[in-house]
Amino acid sequence: MDIIVTPPAPFVSVASEPALVRVRGLHLTVPASGGPVNILRGIDLDIGAGEAVGVVGPSGSGKTSLLMVLAGLERATSGSVVLAGREITGLDEDALARLRREQVGIVFQAFFLIPTMTALENVSIPLELAGVADAEDRAAASLRAVGLGHRFTHLPGQLSGGEQQRVALARAFAPRPRLLLADEPTGNLDRATGEAVMDLLFALREQAGTTLMLITHDSALAARCSRIVRLADGRVEDGRIA
Amino acid sequence: MLAFRLARRELRGGVRGLRIVLACLALGVAAIASVGTLREGISRGLAADGRRILGGDLEVQGGSEALPDTLRDWLRARGAAISDVITLRSMLVAPSGDRMLVELKAVDGAWPLVGQARFSPAQPVASVLGNSDGTYGAAAEALVLGRLGLHPGDRVRIGNATLTLRAQIDVEPDRVASPSIFGPRVLVSAAALPATGLLQPGAIAEHHLRIALLDGADPAALTTALRAAFPDTGWRIRGTADAAPGVAQFIDQTSLFMTLVGLTSLLVGGIGVANGVRAWLEARARSIATLRCLGASPRLVFAVCLIQVLTLSTLGVLAGLAAGAILPIVAVEFLGDVLPVPPQTGVFFAPLALAGAYGLLTAAAFALWPLGRAMRISGAALFRDAVLPAMARPPLPLLAANVALALALVALTVATSPERGFALGFCCAAAGTLLLFRVGGALLTWGAAHIRPPRRPWARLGLANLYRPGSSTPLMLVSVGLGLSTLAAVALIEGNVRGQILEQMPAQAPSFFFIDVQNDQMPAFRKLVEATPGVSDFKEVPSLRARIVAVKGVPVDRVHATPDTAWALRGDRGLTYAAAMPADTRLTAGQWWAKDYTGPPLVSFDANLAKGWGVGVGDTLRVNVLGRDLDLRIASLRDVAWRTLGINFTLVASPGLLEHAPHTHIATVRATPAAQGGLLRAVTDAFPNVSGISIAEVLQAVAALLGQIGTALAATGSLTLAAGALVLAGAVAAGQRRRVQEAVILKALGASRAQIRAAWLVEFGILGAVAGLLAAVVGTAASFGVVRYVMHAQWAFLPGTLAATVAGCVALMLAFGYAGTAAALRAKAAPLLRNE
Repeated sequence: MDIIVTPPAPFVSVASEPALVRVRGLHLTVPASGGPVNILRGIDLDIGAGEAVGVVGPSGSGKTSLLMVLAGLERATSGSVVLAGREITGLDEDALARLRREQVGIVFQAFFLIPTMTALENVSIPLELAGVADAEDRAAASLRAVGLGHRFTHLPGQLSGGEQQRVALARAFAPRPRLLLADEPTGNLDRATGEAVMDLLFALREQAGTTLMLITHDSALAARCSRIVRLADGRVEDGRIA
Repeated sequence: MLAFRLARRELRGGVRGLRIVLACLALGVAAIASVGTLREGISRGLAADGRRILGGDLEVQGGSEALPDTLRDWLRARGAAISDVITLRSMLVAPSGDRMLVELKAVDGAWPLVGQARFSPAQPVASVLGNSDGTYGAAAEALVLGRLGLHPGDRVRIGNATLTLRAQIDVEPDRVASPSIFGPRVLVSAAALPATGLLQPGAIAEHHLRIALLDGADPAALTTALRAAFPDTGWRIRGTADAAPGVAQFIDQTSLFMTLVGLTSLLVGGIGVANGVRAWLEARARSIATLRCLGASPRLVFAVCLIQVLTLSTLGVLAGLAAGAILPIVAVEFLGDVLPVPPQTGVFFAPLALAGAYGLLTAAAFALWPLGRAMRISGAALFRDAVLPAMARPPLPLLAANVALALALVALTVATSPERGFALGFCCAAAGTLLLFRVGGALLTWGAAHIRPPRRPWARLGLANLYRPGSSTPLMLVSVGLGLSTLAAVALIEGNVRGQILEQMPAQAPSFFFIDVQNDQMPAFRKLVEATPGVSDFKEVPSLRARIVAVKGVPVDRVHATPDTAWALRGDRGLTYAAAMPADTRLTAGQWWAKDYTGPPLVSFDANLAKGWGVGVGDTLRVNVLGRDLDLRIASLRDVAWRTLGINFTLVASPGLLEHAPHTHIATVRATPAAQGGLLRAVTDAFPNVSGISIAEVLQAVAALLGQIGTALAATGSLTLAAGALVLAGAVAAGQRRRVQEAVILKALGASRAQIRAAWLVEFGILGAVAGLLAAVVGTAASFGVVRYVMHAQWAFLPGTLAATVAGCVALMLAFGYAGTAAALRAKAAPLLRNE
């Protein structure tokens, strides 16, 4: 691996940086057979540019739903989400897709690589969608940056879990997003592999100056972030600085 | 036992993945079972109703020669009831002067010997046809009344006679045995016939004598005795089993065609079975890997899967059989009037057993290969993503079993077909088509992977979807290949036939055929016709009727003729004579006789019939002309251009023998549309015994018939396409989960809906274009083979039809692709992206 892992990013004060993400009064209610379920019940949250925020909380507290709303993959029932100075709650699907293409990278617990595409093709896709001229070269560089320079032509099924998540990291960082949303990125990995992946994630984030929102159950992992936000029952319970 | 127990437990969990298998088999089996049941019903109807259809126990056909009274006396002496029936063509003239060609049937007082005729207004036959108020009566089909604006009580002219039209014919019991071909039926009394002046020597007429035997009398014994008592007469004697040979042949050929169409849809369904089993195994692969981890042997896994698939297949086949048994009963309700004989309805074992055998063989033949791959799934596969090895080949014994099943399917198809060569050709064509589409799919995959990727990301995505691992490109092409090829072939054959009959012929064809022009009428007839303005191209030839008695010394009932030429051995054939070779004659063998030839009688014969009967130049045909047997040696064979609608005769004899026999003339003329009505009126007023056949009306009738055939062909071709669509839907559905997931991931990575839609349009557009091109190739080849070698007609390339076929294929693929795309685009991202 040709990445030198550095210590966590330096503390970034919320107040000292303009907010990249500004959430106000966010509610998310979804219909269910037993009646509507209120998943998010009035979230207020600011994430400054370059900040690393760990979101923790018990299962069902609304962590992943918050991430989905911030990524524009779930529509808020009410409230406001401003991302990079733009209100996203009223945007249509294509505008949200453009926003993701230009501003947001996502890393999932289950990797979500396209199984029929090679590692290189998986990483190329967001660049190609954005019309980047040298998509393949940049994807190759990104894969090399996560230590997978020798795995370009491999399909996801031919890679280990740790390698798949590194491909996902390369894919998320390749378009140089301003905001990286990571949802339990080590949840499907063993401890040692998970640590290595997280070291890589933080290193890449630091190099690119990317703002991070990391959802995790792991308090040690959350502690590597500059701030921890604790969710409980769809509300922010605690927003202390790490 | 363990395998059954495990299979039962798995089946308990539902059969969702195998529903497509069930539907594909049910559709194909239902088609074959329906056709078989309907055919059996009609055959039984023919057998059970043969006496009514024939109008007696036996019929003696004397051709254009009246049957002698000695025959009647001989039959009466044996207690038989007899009835004379004479059929001929004539013009029927309404009081308004309007006229039309009709098929006249003159019957005696004993008619009908079997069954009942019904008229509107209801009255007995004797009242309708008998002589009252100084005129004989007549009855006509509704078409005649409608066309000429006639009503019961109107006076009509037939030949020289004036008759009173007393009723409309509602039921003519022996209609099938003596069908009306050139026009609608008009019924008159035989006693009225002399006054019409139609029965001139040499006139084209058929004399029939219907015979009803005493109870217990043996028709076969009577036939033998009759032949012995009246040797060398050339009469044709037929019994109830042979009441409607044309119908039986038509039903045989139609059911062969329909069975092959059904088999095509079953083969398409077989692909659906293979796809369905493959998709089902993919979904079950983890369970199978778990079983393997727990100690199940590959053989046990195979047995468990096989039992489930066969159980479902049997259910599909049973559903198809149930539909196949019920549908004909419903069809008879709606098609009763269209069918030539009322079919018997019921559940017939033989056709259902055959359809069931086809279904089970198809299911086994197509399921075995994918099932064999289940044996290759190892327990270790649980720890991999791609659990089902895509390229794994089943073990050798299974491959051998698969080949044996495929051969058994071919053997069953060929063995149960009335035309084995054709059936074998069909099997080869079907296998070739499947192979072509499979190879086409492989080439497309290879090509998509090797061409320079386009710059646009959506085009790259769409193109890449064609060759990525697990891509369904070959599967989809094969799924629609047979169906689309069948439709293309049907469209091209229909286009060719329609084009030749309706577009090419009228330019060369005469406007009228005039038949039964007597020798002494000919000078006046020619003068009248040639003096009529707008009339040209007058041609006439002598015309006699001849019955083939023996071919190369073999009596006609023992001649082995090909199915497409056997018809010419029945009934009378046209015979003419000529010294010089007529213009536009194309000899294929032998030579025309010298103009002054005076030797033993020679004949120039139809080359196609000669081939079907196995005769050539130098062989002898014995024909009966006006009751006399003549031996004609074949001097030459001719390509008879029936399609030109000019004067064509099966038999053209050398001069010297027939000039002095009583005969008539056939004449053709061309007339401008404005002159046609006047010409017909002038000729048939001046020569009441002459009948005029309007080619325009014949073409209209042919067009209507072609329209019906076209609809039937399109409907049957659509059945194959419906099966293909079902399979395609299954193939799309099988990959839909992957597509939805891909769409969601792409959306999460910033792809707009337009980009995703465009990618899939590229993918399915290319698939449709390739499918269309391959279908066009197969359809062109198949239509060429059928038009050229089965229909013996000229084949024409029809680019418009082909373009429409390709466009239809692209549209079909895009429709299916878009259905999948739209569903994937509608899918919500969040539920799929949440942690599993």
